[in-house]
Amino acid sequence: MEAVAVSVEGLVVSYGSFVAVENLSFTVKNGEIYGLLGPNGAGKTTTIKVLVGVLEPRSGKVEIYNTPLSDEVAAKSQIGYVPEEVVLLDSLTPREFLEFVASIRRLSKDTLNSKLERYISAFELKQYFDTPIAALSMGNKQKVAIVAALLHDPKLLILDEPLIGLDARSSKILKELVTFHAKKGGAVIFSTHIMEVAEKLCTKVGIINKGKIVGEGTVDDLRKLVRSAEGSLEDIFLKVTEQEAGMQDIIKALEEE
Amino acid sequence: MKFSELWRLSSTVYKEVSFQSIFSLRAGSALPQGGRRDIKQLVSSARVNTLISKLITTVFIGIFAFIVFLPVIIGDVNPVIPLEIALPGSVSAFLTVVLFLIVFMGLQVSTSFVSSKTVDVLNPLPLSKNDISRIVFLCFIRIFDIPLVAAGVIFLVVYFLVGGTILGGVISLVSIIVTEIFALTLTVLSARFFYSRVARAAGKSVWHTFLRLAFMLVWILPTFAAYFVVNFAREIVQFFAYLTQGFSSLSHVLVLVFPFSYGFLVSYTSFFHAADYATLGLSIAACVAYVGAAFYCLRWVTQTIREIGAAGVTKGVREAVKDTIIRPQIPWLGVIRKDLRVASRAPSFASLFLLPVVQTAVLAITFSSFNEVGLNAALGILIGISMITLLLPPTLLSIEGLASAYTRHLPLKKRTLITAKTLLTTVTYIFSLIVLSIVSLALGKKFSLILVFGIIHAFAVAAAIMLELTILMRKFWKEGFSVGNIYSRISTYILILIPGYIMAGVPMVCALVALFLASPFLLPTFLVAAVTEFVIMTAIVAYQK
Repeated sequence: MEAVAVSVEGLVVSYGSFVAVENLSFTVKNGEIYGLLGPNGAGKTTTIKVLVGVLEPRSGKVEIYNTPLSDEVAAKSQIGYVPEEVVLLDSLTPREFLEFVASIRRLSKDTLNSKLERYISAFELKQYFDTPIAALSMGNKQKVAIVAALLHDPKLLILDEPLIGLDARSSKILKELVTFHAKKGGAVIFSTHIMEVAEKLCTKVGIINKGKIVGEGTVDDLRKLVRSAEGSLEDIFLKVTEQEAGMQDIIKALEEE
Repeated sequence: MKFSELWRLSSTVYKEVSFQSIFSLRAGSALPQGGRRDIKQLVSSARVNTLISKLITTVFIGIFAFIVFLPVIIGDVNPVIPLEIALPGSVSAFLTVVLFLIVFMGLQVSTSFVSSKTVDVLNPLPLSKNDISRIVFLCFIRIFDIPLVAAGVIFLVVYFLVGGTILGGVISLVSIIVTEIFALTLTVLSARFFYSRVARAAGKSVWHTFLRLAFMLVWILPTFAAYFVVNFAREIVQFFAYLTQGFSSLSHVLVLVFPFSYGFLVSYTSFFHAADYATLGLSIAACVAYVGAAFYCLRWVTQTIREIGAAGVTKGVREAVKDTIIRPQIPWLGVIRKDLRVASRAPSFASLFLLPVVQTAVLAITFSSFNEVGLNAALGILIGISMITLLLPPTLLSIEGLASAYTRHLPLKKRTLITAKTLLTTVTYIFSLIVLSIVSLALGKKFSLILVFGIIHAFAVAAAIMLELTILMRKFWKEGFSVGNIYSRISTYILILIPGYIMAGVPMVCALVALFLASPFLLPTFLVAAVTEFVIMTAIVAYQK
């Protein structure tokens, strides 16, 4: 039986009086690429921020490899995280930023540098290595965040919209890396709005709507859920998030204008 | 587009620049968990902060005007110096103060303006390039609006209180406008240089590091000047008065130098009978030349601000990178290295490292008047330095607030952060002691007491820093160390500082008690108190996870 990488039970997160995530529960096992899908404002990023320790939940139980989030350092040590909005230490260069991250993670330079060189070369970052992050394009900032997330060989990768801003080559490399990571026995939580990517890449999908899981399983499981034999993940998504109803009328109205 | 319309649009951009500065720099770009209420609070605190910054500068200008001109008004500069002779010095001193205060304020605010990308929002809108440039320039002017207007009004009011003439009033107005244009030019020049050549320049060479450190000094200069002027306003006025009356040959040279040219001209146009025609002619020529220079500077500032607004100053120059080797350190050293790198590229943080040193230099100048640095003076000086040093930890911790939306996911221990920030602050304190010792040595003062007590007191200061940081950790660990959080309530900030001050002061009190009860035990008592505090706080920090 695969080890449970992430266990979330009854998670509730609120911003003031607004409840962003309501009683959310799911598990991610080793070897799984768990696609976290949902419309804008559904609670995906909020959930992810709780998992990586950036946000405090109001209630609920979250464990990373059986380590409760209250044991912050131990839990965070096992995670590699790429945020949705890449806000890094802009005044530093990628070299300085990665040195800082590697220092905090207590990485040894003997094993680190050969790995780093491979990533830098794969994501074509070498020419920007001593350029302040503030001067980098969004895609290159994203690549720096991806390299920082991979440096310590984490057991769990949490990637929030990691393909935004990436060129086709880097997207392909990242997707291959994610697949390889899962095959090696690691776990991945992958949030995206691109249904085709989720359908091809993820072994399991959780669809969040208004802070609640409204569908979970493999794409086949979800097809059964919506009683559709051939529907794409996009069709399933629109059905379970109740966004399909009336959509044709809206499109027609827009076209008429 | 009409000016009124442009002015209205610049208000929207200005509000956004203010908000961005507080959201990215002060809130770490993390959405506050309090929801809309917190965002609204951020928006309103951005407005309040910028307004307070303007008002503080205005109040300073007002106070300086009072300090500078009051002796002239009541004839207290020197009983033997008539008003017409004192006035050039006072006017020159006031213009110098206005110049430095506006530059100081500008350097702090330009951080958000120069790095802001809000103008990008304007580009896709159906506005001509010219209109966008004008909006950007007006937005820049809005940063300084109150102090610029207030400086002019204050100057004219005090000038007429002194008993000025209409012609003198006009010259005064021209002089303040020229001064303000020079101040804006200096601000834009240094901000542009800093961002293009220092903060955002590519490369990891020693030259870049040196340049950054050198620029930290440039950045601190206006702070030093402002601080210096606050403390020594009266002496400055007397010095300026001395310069302008002292030697006739010197006054012929000074009359060509800004702002003395205006000082002389304002004085001559107020008291025609005192005019020396040669000096008057020179001052008129110099003033006209400065008006010309100001006109050129204004054009340059307008042009540069428009360029910055349209394209930013980031050039993103790529340099040939030889290797991709990184050298991780142990965590606390990694934090220190990161802090120093960030601070050397962010004026608001850089100045804080140098503030205790500046404070020390000012204290050193002050105690140069003492015949001997006795125990009381030594302890007093140490209290002064430690109080300034203890302002550092909250700000130093707020560096963790930058990009906290990302960095908070890193497995960083509380004790690692406390250790790093304590070391950095304590080193700053010790560096201040070294500066003080060097100054003492240069002045031929006996500094052994300061050095011996200072080194021992460093333990108490380190303990006080650890105490402050432990309180801050307890309070802000979960919500993040953004400036927006740490400085949100002044009461919180005071509650952090007071225990630190008490801890730093305890060995002093113990020493003074020992002095009265058993004077031979003064030094051992001081040592035991300081070291005990240090040991206790180290033990507490060691237990922080």
